Amino acid sequence: MSPQRTAPPRNGGNRTSLAIVAALSAASGVACWAVEGSDGLAQAIAISWGLFLTILPVLGAALLLAGFMQAGVARETIARWLGAESGLRGLLIASVAGAATPGGPMAAFPLVLALAAGGADRGALIAYVAAWSLNGFQRILVWEIPILGPEFAALRFVASLPLPVIAGLLARRIAGSAR
Amino acid sequence: MTATGIAVWLLAAAAGVALWRRDPAAVATGARFALGTLKGVLPVLLLALPMAGFLSVLVPERFAALLFGPESGLPGHLLATLVGAFIPGGPFVSFPIVLALWSSGAGAAQMVTLISAWSVLAVNRVIVWEAPLMGWRFVALRLATGFWLPLASGLIAEAILALLPPGSIGR
Repeated sequence: MSPQRTAPPRNGGNRTSLAIVAALSAASGVACWAVEGSDGLAQAIAISWGLFLTILPVLGAALLLAGFMQAGVARETIARWLGAESGLRGLLIASVAGAATPGGPMAAFPLVLALAAGGADRGALIAYVAAWSLNGFQRILVWEIPILGPEFAALRFVASLPLPVIAGLLARRIAGSAR
Repeated sequence: MTATGIAVWLLAAAAGVALWRRDPAAVATGARFALGTLKGVLPVLLLALPMAGFLSVLVPERFAALLFGPESGLPGHLLATLVGAFIPGGPFVSFPIVLALWSSGAGAAQMVTLISAWSVLAVNRVIVWEAPLMGWRFVALRLATGFWLPLASGLIAEAILALLPPGSIGR
C-alpha cells in the first residue's frame, strides 16, 4: 500500500470534473436550444441566474463552517474514534465518524484502507463508508442545503440516519461467515 | 438574504468563535480551506448551474411527474435507484440534476432515493476509486450490505412525508 497510490493529483481530478460538467452543460444547452428555441434558452439562463444568487451567499458561509469543522476535527481523531470501540457502540461511532469525514473519495477511502490494514472491524468500516456516502456533513452543508434547501436536506438526513448501522450489522454477519 | 443564509452564517460565526477560543491559529487554517475550496468549486458551479437551468426547461413536467412523481410508488423509487446509480461526477452534477427533476414535478421522497443511490451505489466512483484502492472483495461486501439503502431511505422519507402536513417540503 504505497501512499503515492492513495493520493492522485488533486488538480487532475478537478480538471476531469470540470470537463465532465462542461460537456454535460454544453450538451443540455444545445438540446435546450434545439427543442425550445432561443426563448427556452433565455428562460433557462434566467433560472440559472436566480439559482446562482440564492446559492452564493449560503455557499460562502457553508464553506467557512466546513473549514472550521475540518480545522477542529483532525483526521487522526476520526481514525482514533473508529478503531476504539466494538459492538453496537463501535458502529454508532463509525457512523458519526463517516459523516464527519470531509471531502470526496480521495479523502475517505485512504483512511478506510489504513484502518482495514490495521485490522479494524469490517462492520465498522462498512458503517463508516455508508455514513460518509449517505450523510457526509460537508456535502450537506456545501451542496445540499444551498441547492435543494434545508427542509429537503433534513428529510434526507433523517431518513438515512439509521441505515449505516444496519449495513454494518449485516456486514459483520456476512464477513463473519465468509472468514 | 434568505433565512437559510442567515442561519448558516450564524453557525459559521459560532464555529469560528469556538475554534478561536481553542486554537486561534486553526481559524486561519479553516478560512484558508474555505477560500481554497471556493476557488476549486466556483468554476464547476458556474458550469453546473446553467445545466440545472437547461434541464429544468428541457424536462417536461409530465415526464418527471410520471416517472418520479409523488404518486409513482415503488416503480418510481426503483427507477430513481437505477438512474441515481449511474449519475457520474460529484455533487456539482447530481444536485443540479435533482433540482431540475424536482422542480419539474418529481416527488421529494423519490429524490431522496435518487441521491442515496448516487451516493451509495455510485458505479462511476466504484470503478475509478473504490475497486482500485480497496479491492473488489471490499466492494462486493459493501454492495451486498448496501444495495437496499437507497430504497430504504426513500421509503422512510415517504413515511416521514406522510406524517408532515402536506406541502411542508415542496418546490
